[in-house]
Amino acid sequence: MLVQFYFQAPYLDHAYQQVLDWVQIIYLFTLGVGAINLIKIHLKKTTFRREAPYSAITLTGILVMLFFGLLQGKETGSVFDWVFKNVQVPLQATMFSLLAFFVASAAYRGFRARSTEAFVLLSVAAIVMLGRVPIGNLISDNIPDLANWILNFPSMAARRGILIGIGLGTVATALRVISGIERTYLGK
Amino acid sequence: MKRQQVYLLILASITIPLFLPLGLKHKVTPEVERFYQTVESLPAGSTVIVSFDFEASTIAETKPLAQAVLRHLFARNVSVVSLSMLAEGTGLGYSFLREVADEFGRKYGEDYIFLGFRPQYQATILGLGEDFAKVFPKDYSGNNLSDISLTQNVRNYEGISLIISVADGDLPQYWVDYAQTRYQKPVLAAVTAAMATTYYPYLSSGQFSGLVGGLKGAAEYEALLGQPGLGSKGMEAQSLGHLMIIALIIIGNLSYLIARKKI
Repeated sequence: MLVQFYFQAPYLDHAYQQVLDWVQIIYLFTLGVGAINLIKIHLKKTTFRREAPYSAITLTGILVMLFFGLLQGKETGSVFDWVFKNVQVPLQATMFSLLAFFVASAAYRGFRARSTEAFVLLSVAAIVMLGRVPIGNLISDNIPDLANWILNFPSMAARRGILIGIGLGTVATALRVISGIERTYLGK
Repeated sequence: MKRQQVYLLILASITIPLFLPLGLKHKVTPEVERFYQTVESLPAGSTVIVSFDFEASTIAETKPLAQAVLRHLFARNVSVVSLSMLAEGTGLGYSFLREVADEFGRKYGEDYIFLGFRPQYQATILGLGEDFAKVFPKDYSGNNLSDISLTQNVRNYEGISLIISVADGDLPQYWVDYAQTRYQKPVLAAVTAAMATTYYPYLSSGQFSGLVGGLKGAAEYEALLGQPGLGSKGMEAQSLGHLMIIALIIIGNLSYLIARKKI
């Protein structure tokens, strides 16, 4: 794929297409392996008294969705679509929404100005929180500008540092794998 | 203050504005303006890819984002080829797309199509650059791509003017890595607020042509469209929620200082 990126030749294009096809085929099989593994684990767990109800719900969910998915498809109005939109979506959205309550509780308990650094962190957090909502505008026009400055300069500088670090780390790991130094993926 | 009292205060602050709107005005940020202007500059009849790269958990943010962007595209008479890189985004993306397309009276197959989901996003993004029909021989509803008029004319990225990723994770980065870098296609990102900070470096480097972040971004986009929607409504709840959290932090710190003085 690397060679194909730089040089154009019909046989390279063909090889590139083959690689793309195989990547998807292998990935699809890994999804199947994942599903089988999940079913095996939960079948085993149904024998334990405490975890049995949860595993039974998981297995029922898999079977119901699989059955109706294969029977009716996933089109609008199908049981699969109805269960997805009326069970899975609200459940997942609710789980995520709970974060608002946990964050508020954690902020009230733990966000203390115990040192100068903690005070700076707290002030910056308050400015960004106010600057990212329209109420910040009502309090002062400078708050959103200050919040944007924090996001565009100090925050972005830190983020760039992290991204460059990740990039260099990825290149180093790739070179180790290609040159055969890194062989832990082979179980060695 | 007990934990339950904190929860009640937060619940009140985020539900009251949903029933009693405050009518807050939204100041449009430069990154949202850039996103809007990029779409605005598209000639009528051009085609864009909209990728629904999110899961159900972030629907409160991704739905207003997706709706605002789709409304703008359909209002501009731009055709939409859409897909999802995540299995959960498939059902949601398809329903948002149908909903907005029906609002504008757009026809499936001519003005928009939904390809569906393919696993392994690197291979999918690269494969779409070669031939849509190779990655998706059929669309989400099971129609052959060769029978659909939109994909008869647009077969790969060559016919695409823009790629928009509505996401709650790191997928816009993959669109930059594999579609923007290799095929020089401009990429726009509409992402959740938690992910927006991650993408500011991509915006300043020009790898993103625009960025809409979170409910705030959706509300600003709705303000630019002159069509308030879920983003504006949700932003009022979020405004009071943020105020309440700041108030709680101040109360917590005051009680901490008082307790420390007593010791």
